[in-house]
Amino acid sequence: MAISRPVRRNSTITYVLAAILCIFFLYFFFADSTSLPSLPFAPRQLYHTKQAAQNALSPPSLPFIKPTKLGPDEIAPPPPVVHYRMNNVTTSSTPIENRETILILTPLARFYDSYWENLCKLTYPHDLISLGFIIPKGREGNLATQQLQDRIQKTQHPSNKDRFASITILRQDTEPIIPQAEHDRHALVVQKERRAAMSRARNSLLFTTLGPTTSWVLWLDSDIVETPPSLLQDLASHNKPIIVPNCFQRYYNKEEEEWSTRPYDFNSWQDSPTAQGLAEQMGPDEILLEGYAEMATYRSLMAYMADTTADPRAEVDLDGVGGTALLVKAEVHRDGAMFPPFPFYHLIETEGFAKMASRLGWRSFGLPNYFVYHYNE
Amino acid sequence: MNRHAYPSSGLSPTDSPQSPKTFFGNGGGRRVPTMGESGRGFHIRPDKYDDKYKPSSKRTMWQRRRKSLLRLGGMLTGVFCILMLIFPSLRPAALFSALSLFTLGGGEEFNIETVRYYDLSNVGGTSRGWEREERILLCAPLRDAAPHLPMFFSHLRNLTYPHNLIDLAFLVGDSKDDTAELLSDLLAQLQAAENVKETFGEISVLEKDFGQVVNQDVESRHGFAAQAGRRKSMAQARNWLLSAALRPTHSWVYWRDVDVETAPFTILEDLMRHNKDVIVPNVWRPLPEWLGGEQPYDLNSWQESETALALADTLDEDAVIVEGYAEYATWRPHLAYLRDPYGDPDMEMEIDGVGGVSILAKAKVFRSGVHFPAFSFEKHAETEGFGKMAKRMSFSVVGLPHYTIWHLYEPSYEDIRHMEELEQERAAQEAAEQQRRERTERIQQDFDTGASSQFEKDKAAMREAVRKMKEVRGRSHPDEGWAEDERFRGQREETRRKGEEEEGTKKEEERAAAQKVEELPKAPVVEEVAKKIAADVEQKAQVEAKPEAAKPKPDVAKGAALEPPSPPEKSSEVKLQRDADGKAHLEDPLGEIKELGGDSAAAVAEGVRRQEVKMQEAAQRAAAGGGGKS
Repeated sequence: MAISRPVRRNSTITYVLAAILCIFFLYFFFADSTSLPSLPFAPRQLYHTKQAAQNALSPPSLPFIKPTKLGPDEIAPPPPVVHYRMNNVTTSSTPIENRETILILTPLARFYDSYWENLCKLTYPHDLISLGFIIPKGREGNLATQQLQDRIQKTQHPSNKDRFASITILRQDTEPIIPQAEHDRHALVVQKERRAAMSRARNSLLFTTLGPTTSWVLWLDSDIVETPPSLLQDLASHNKPIIVPNCFQRYYNKEEEEWSTRPYDFNSWQDSPTAQGLAEQMGPDEILLEGYAEMATYRSLMAYMADTTADPRAEVDLDGVGGTALLVKAEVHRDGAMFPPFPFYHLIETEGFAKMASRLGWRSFGLPNYFVYHYNE
Repeated sequence: MNRHAYPSSGLSPTDSPQSPKTFFGNGGGRRVPTMGESGRGFHIRPDKYDDKYKPSSKRTMWQRRRKSLLRLGGMLTGVFCILMLIFPSLRPAALFSALSLFTLGGGEEFNIETVRYYDLSNVGGTSRGWEREERILLCAPLRDAAPHLPMFFSHLRNLTYPHNLIDLAFLVGDSKDDTAELLSDLLAQLQAAENVKETFGEISVLEKDFGQVVNQDVESRHGFAAQAGRRKSMAQARNWLLSAALRPTHSWVYWRDVDVETAPFTILEDLMRHNKDVIVPNVWRPLPEWLGGEQPYDLNSWQESETALALADTLDEDAVIVEGYAEYATWRPHLAYLRDPYGDPDMEMEIDGVGGVSILAKAKVFRSGVHFPAFSFEKHAETEGFGKMAKRMSFSVVGLPHYTIWHLYEPSYEDIRHMEELEQERAAQEAAEQQRRERTERIQQDFDTGASSQFEKDKAAMREAVRKMKEVRGRSHPDEGWAEDERFRGQREETRRKGEEEEGTKKEEERAAAQKVEELPKAPVVEEVAKKIAADVEQKAQVEAKPEAAKPKPDVAKGAALEPPSPPEKSSEVKLQRDADGKAHLEDPLGEIKELGGDSAAAVAEGVRRQEVKMQEAAQRAAAGGGGKS
């Protein structure tokens, strides 16, 4: 018994300490919230690019703090007054250093796993990237939505340290245009309608997701499955209002029995006098399209300027741009440059966008030797 | 509760039987002592292991020190904790935040939502948005607007549309006054309202300076040369505001200028009820009385005209047609000029250009890409270009000509100029009046002498006739004193008869008296008769005078109607009197002919001239009004 004495005394002290500690913790856990140091009331809130917004009404390009569950007679507090210093939103050639946010917008018709994987491989800090998708109505759209959401659940899981800042999924309000049977005869008409609908989808996506903190907008088609991982930095480093890489496609060349590449996007071009002459003779609702034999425009296409051995940083001036991959300074869009769903100077969608931007004083550039790759069906 | 549980000794007895076990387990099983409580055991029996395990004594020394240090630390912590419990001011904030960060650190990621899903077919916008909880984005671009802000906020508070469904977005830029500060104070007040129903939805204040060189003061704002550039920069501001504030949750977008003075509280519902893609009310502004009371303000809502289209074709690609300037005469029907104060406020009118004072548009219009062109779009910019672009994308664009909101009146440069113009106009008008009068006089003198002399002759003849009649009947009007006349006639007859009788008796008396004239004096009788006659005449005169005093003012029409058949000269006299009164000229065929020769022609000319002046005035006001629109 003599031995147990000191032990007993010892353990008493331990228990005393433990109890004190317990009280201390319990006190703080269950204490009245009024006794906690409350944050000073801030009527003016300033938002920094990375901060999560206070409520769900905030710009979709920002994540937001989930609303706390309310009691039966509780009313949610009114949303705060938020000030955005848009003077401080920069677009520079060193976007990472300046913590510039990028919004990647994708009109999603069909979901490709390789697209998502490529997206996740981008080396630009993911907490500066917001994603926006617009998906058409209908069965195909539902399928794409489901596939996308499955991937998002994994990527955006809170445990993933490399998740994107925010993701917005929009479902289009208009019915998709069903391709008609007599495709060949009405190819031009169908093309015009299809691209007009595409323009509306792009605009809907753009104007609802473009937040006040966004610096850059990257348009990336859902069938772009391969890009350099440093795509964003590379394009932004040119510091151009509108810049477009050359879009190619990998295919298996059966004659030479090897994988090869071929040009895919023909919408990036420099205008030609022939095309201008054609446009002059057109009615106000007619459009010029690339790649139709009955409409030879003789424009210089960027697709054919490619030289894999030359400097990938070489730039060319462009008058029309393609939308497969397209980096735009947010201020260009904010000034009003959108994708015209109507013939604008006989141009439509992305080509019309370049024209509208040029009317607003923004020039477009292309990188003929810098490639992104389109999915090959 | 815990505090009470601590001193109770219940814990130690239950634990004490187990303590020796652990002790033995440690001390006996493993010979190497591990921790705290067993340390004392070594001290009690040092001889047992001393020679065999020498290094252990060193360890014991170290452990002893460590144990005492631990104990000291524990005690200090305990004391500190108790002190912190008693004195909350001692609690270190850093420790607290570190603690909360530690406990919530893992959950922060879980509390942040990064994925949003929206179906745009739910936000198409319907005519009864307040029932379907459709959100409205209210946009207001501000620049040097501090004086108008309190008024604007009172309008906001008065809106009947559910406030929680209204998101506010302001763009503050290039302001030289304290717009930004005042705005954030007012907004904070607005959101801090006691009644939750008074608070609004999301409120964003976008601060962006475009570094525009154009001044906002009235003179430079409305100069024609500055218009195109100004409109383009305004368009840019509007686009920045919209693109940063439009969310996938919005069904409607409402653009409102801060300087609207009067608008119905129900304006959102009123405009929404029409269920149009783009809809604008009529915008007027009140003016001081001496400026005409009111004036059309917003001339940017118009219907396209052939003239304007033809004009547009002749212009340069970058030219911008602005309404309300003489430089571009477009002859377009303006919504503003079609206002009828008593017209049906629900009447709609298709328009092509819209004014920006108060636009309600479905959000899908903006979503599909319609914006305020900051370039020359079909020769128009800003809101007019917006209307044009909406039309181009086949959205419905309508205006309500009889539903009016009132813009604030500020005496602007234009108004001051307009006032001067009005003054000049009045002077010119007076001069013209003078000239005209002189001319008519001259004409009358030169060419109308025959007619006027004839007229004078006739007038003199008529006067003569009146005078004669007065002499005959003792009155100037045939109707006057008729009843009295009748009454006194009998009296007069009687008097006459009496007089005759008296005369008869007198004659008889005279005859009788004549017989004895020699002996009786005649004079008293004659004197008596003369007196009587004099009295008679006096009485008659009194009777005549009475109706003369009570004579009513000549009521022409009544007189003419009640007039008994009377001699022609009397009738013409009546009509001449009318002439003198300046009424019913045309009833007298003679008079009419006369007037056509003279006054009447002048009156017709006068009427025509007045009409012309009025039209000129209206045109000038229209031109000035156009200038008044910002």
